[in-house]
Amino acid sequence: MDKTNREKLFACITATSFVLDDLRIYLDTHPDDQEALDYWRKVERVRNEAVEEYTKCFGPINSYDVDVSNRWTWVDEPWPWEGRC
Amino acid sequence: MWSYERRLQYPVNIKQRNPRLAQVIMSQFGGPDGELAASMRYLSQRYSTTNKKVAGVLTDIGTEESVPLRYRR
Repeated sequence: MDKTNREKLFACITATSFVLDDLRIYLDTHPDDQEALDYWRKVERVRNEAVEEYTKCFGPINSYDVDVSNRWTWVDEPWPWEGRC
Repeated sequence: MWSYERRLQYPVNIKQRNPRLAQVIMSQFGGPDGELAASMRYLSQRYSTTNKKVAGVLTDIGTEESVPLRYRR
């Protein structure tokens, strides 16, 4: 099945976030591990680009990025456990 | 202090209803030995250590454990 661009981008955000969530806990107790720090920088870059692109095309995943030029839209879209993304 | 993102840590794609399994999962989340109770213990214990690394890791693990677990009705 062909994945849409939206699904691909979202999957990229999910995967890179998971890596950073795990790395964060490791780095809390290994703050000078250069290999881990390099890995963080590498994955962080990919994640930032994916989040920026996703937010621009499909709306924010972070409420700080809600576009308030017209009205408050944060609760309009279905939540992720409601069957989309 | 906490903020959340409009996404799940792991994608959920429920194809079939299973109320019995849902009950087990909800108990794992909010029950007596569930993640919610564990997360509150981590977040409370982080104040009783003087070790900065331990306090940091307890804060971050407590945060992870408290992430709401949802299932579709």
